[in-house]
Amino acid sequence: MAGGVITIYEQTRKSFLSSLYSFKVVLPGLLAMLFIAVFSNNLPGVPNPFTLENLFRWLDGVIGPLNHQPFFQILNSNFVWNPLLMGFIIGNIFGVPHCWKRGLSYIHILMPLGIIMLAPHFMIGHAFKLGFWPIALCAGFMLLTATATLLLAKLFKVDDRQASIIAGGLSTGDPHAGIILMPLIKAKGGQVINASIGVIGFGLISMLLLPGLAGFFDFPQTYIGLASVIGVGNGHQALYAAYESGYEAGRYALWFDVGRHVIMPAGFLYVFIAMFIRKLRRPDDPKVQATRGIDKFPVWLGVFICAWILACLHLFKEPAHHAIFNMVQWDFSLAAAALGLSISFKDIAAAGVRGFILTIVTGILRIALLLAVIAVCVKAGLLQA
Amino acid sequence: MGTKSHTVDDKGFDYMANTGREEKDRDTCGMLLAIIIMVFLTLSQYLGWY
Repeated sequence: MAGGVITIYEQTRKSFLSSLYSFKVVLPGLLAMLFIAVFSNNLPGVPNPFTLENLFRWLDGVIGPLNHQPFFQILNSNFVWNPLLMGFIIGNIFGVPHCWKRGLSYIHILMPLGIIMLAPHFMIGHAFKLGFWPIALCAGFMLLTATATLLLAKLFKVDDRQASIIAGGLSTGDPHAGIILMPLIKAKGGQVINASIGVIGFGLISMLLLPGLAGFFDFPQTYIGLASVIGVGNGHQALYAAYESGYEAGRYALWFDVGRHVIMPAGFLYVFIAMFIRKLRRPDDPKVQATRGIDKFPVWLGVFICAWILACLHLFKEPAHHAIFNMVQWDFSLAAAALGLSISFKDIAAAGVRGFILTIVTGILRIALLLAVIAVCVKAGLLQA
Repeated sequence: MGTKSHTVDDKGFDYMANTGREEKDRDTCGMLLAIIIMVFLTLSQYLGWY
């Protein structure tokens, strides 16, 4: 602990393996995570049909597709949010037994483990087929959105940790980036979930807004697809917006989405590095909370960057990449269960609505600027009409 | 239900607190496990085990 105080852990520590504690004390927590994960997702190797994922798929069938998209996919249901939701419900209705808590602390082992294993998923070369300008637009707007969010956060007086999570989620077009940023920013669980709900909530607003706004411009369907990917993001929300404008726009959104996806690590690395440098420059400023507690660049993040470079060099071929991603699904399912159990309604409410207002303002500015830039690019012939 | 009751056990151990030596050790465990899994899965493909 800070201030030279020797903690109980340090007194009894023998090696780094001491952080695993004893099997007897961690078993109840590990079993809790396992059962929540297994009943939330269709995990590789587990033939359990009674999962939350299957329930949502059945409900998707009942509701029917909305612009060719399943309703719960539009809400971003996946292997992270399902166990998180189940853990959250269990924790808030029944509480969390004390005997689970040692085992649940494995979330802090699972987070760097899962993030490193995620690296082979982002191969830059997959986006080369899009051409220079679409990739430049994806990368430019990602960095611009992250920067604008962090700067506007001061105006809206949003806690810098929550603003960092919003910046990560909104700029990459994937709320999971916020979860990945959680251990790096040292954000509270309530701030992360509050920010993620805001990013998904704004995604719903923007997927309804963008087709109408894009209608004012005479874009080819191709670039309505591109505008949906960059301006809305969040996977199926972007597809909903694009298909609302036309079938071809929807198909092109699928084509362009790889450009947003493969550069995602650059988005959360940018947010972390920007906030880390800010903290180093202002070590005694009480307003600077993001990355507080991280003294030097984390070694495991360096390992992630090395693995990402190796992935870009096509070291992880199929099916090894697929097998590693199956491990990621297991890892994040277990971690999300522990995170869900840790959060109360009060934690989420305590983060307030300022973050959501920041998300809306930044998101609307992004859409307006994006449509203007695409219009200029089409007129100038940079994007082929 | 108090906020902390979700994460703190009867001995005062907070499972969401992650600081100091304990944090570094957890990071090391996660990092080593990630390297082991990725190297094993990648090498076993290169060696033709699957």
